[in-house]
Amino acid sequence: MSWLWGSANSEEKKIEEVAPPAPSLKDTLGFDPNELADLSTILSAKGAFDSERLHPLAGLDKGVEYLDLEDEALTSMEGAQTGLIPSRGWSDDLCYGTGAVYLIGLGLGGAYGFGEGIKNIPANAPGKLRLNTILNHVTKRGPFLGNSAGVLAVTYNVINSIIDAVRGKHDDYNSIASGAIAGAIFKSSKGFKPMGISSILMASAAGVWCGIKRVIA
Amino acid sequence: MSADHTRDPCPIVILNDFGGAFAMGAIGGSVWHGLKGFRNSPIGERRLGAVSAIKARAPVLGGNFGVWGGLFSTFDCAVKAVRKREDPLNAIIAGFFTGGALAIRGGWKHTRNSAITCACILGVFEGVGVMFQRYMAWQAKPAAPLMPDAPMTA
Repeated sequence: MSWLWGSANSEEKKIEEVAPPAPSLKDTLGFDPNELADLSTILSAKGAFDSERLHPLAGLDKGVEYLDLEDEALTSMEGAQTGLIPSRGWSDDLCYGTGAVYLIGLGLGGAYGFGEGIKNIPANAPGKLRLNTILNHVTKRGPFLGNSAGVLAVTYNVINSIIDAVRGKHDDYNSIASGAIAGAIFKSSKGFKPMGISSILMASAAGVWCGIKRVIA
Repeated sequence: MSADHTRDPCPIVILNDFGGAFAMGAIGGSVWHGLKGFRNSPIGERRLGAVSAIKARAPVLGGNFGVWGGLFSTFDCAVKAVRKREDPLNAIIAGFFTGGALAIRGGWKHTRNSAITCACILGVFEGVGVMFQRYMAWQAKPAAPLMPDAPMTA
């Protein structure tokens, strides 16, 4: 915001330019009355309205001291930066993880629905009916799989962040444990056997994802 | 205006918005439909009613939120890339396209009405945002230093 409020440095520079030392009067008076910096001399000075200096992003070549970078500081938790993209904290993990898994689920479900729709086109149907059949199947399968996958991802990421915060570091055990808990919660209204199955499935999915991360990143 | 450093650059922010909107919808939907299912169930089955309402409706609400947010973000990025500027009009145009795209299976009239409604809602949001921004700027306005009336004698 220094361009708005004016920074201390630019003011000093202007005054230096308009008040060069005049030895004779300066010696007697201690200052030069002709060249005192009042408003009109500052405004009429060379470079006062220099667009390069007045630009909001002026002076960036000297460094980024005016920029407020606190908001985008990356999280410094141990092991938290092993992902594919840098993370600023639990909200980044939650948003990116959920978004990616949701989109993958939506895409896979939509593709399955597309195939199903193509198979189920009635014979001798006109174009509009064909399109409608396919779209109906896509919108039946895609959002269902996407929503389930998204809910799983939200649960997984929230639990993962909580475990990270409690343990103070992030590693593969956290991911697998939170996968197991998320899977158990997801099927918690169906009884113990489905809970166990989905818990094991999710834990192994989390483990596979940790392995993929190792290979890619 | 100084650049916004809290949001990521354009193509990848779509993923962030998808996930953020979905999480918001799913968590908010759990609270909302949980309360609703609890209140609408007979005494003795209240917990069961709340759980089944959450299971049936919260993911759908999350999906609706997520698709809306992700589509909006996609259109916002596209409009930014075409117009090469960032101002409140971007969000209004993106809202127009989002509303239209989501209603496109309902026919031409439905698409048009939905697009216009969505653009108006986004216009109100952006208007409130601009007003709030002005108010904050006015609150933290730079104050002129106090000038002495007569120059001090040396």
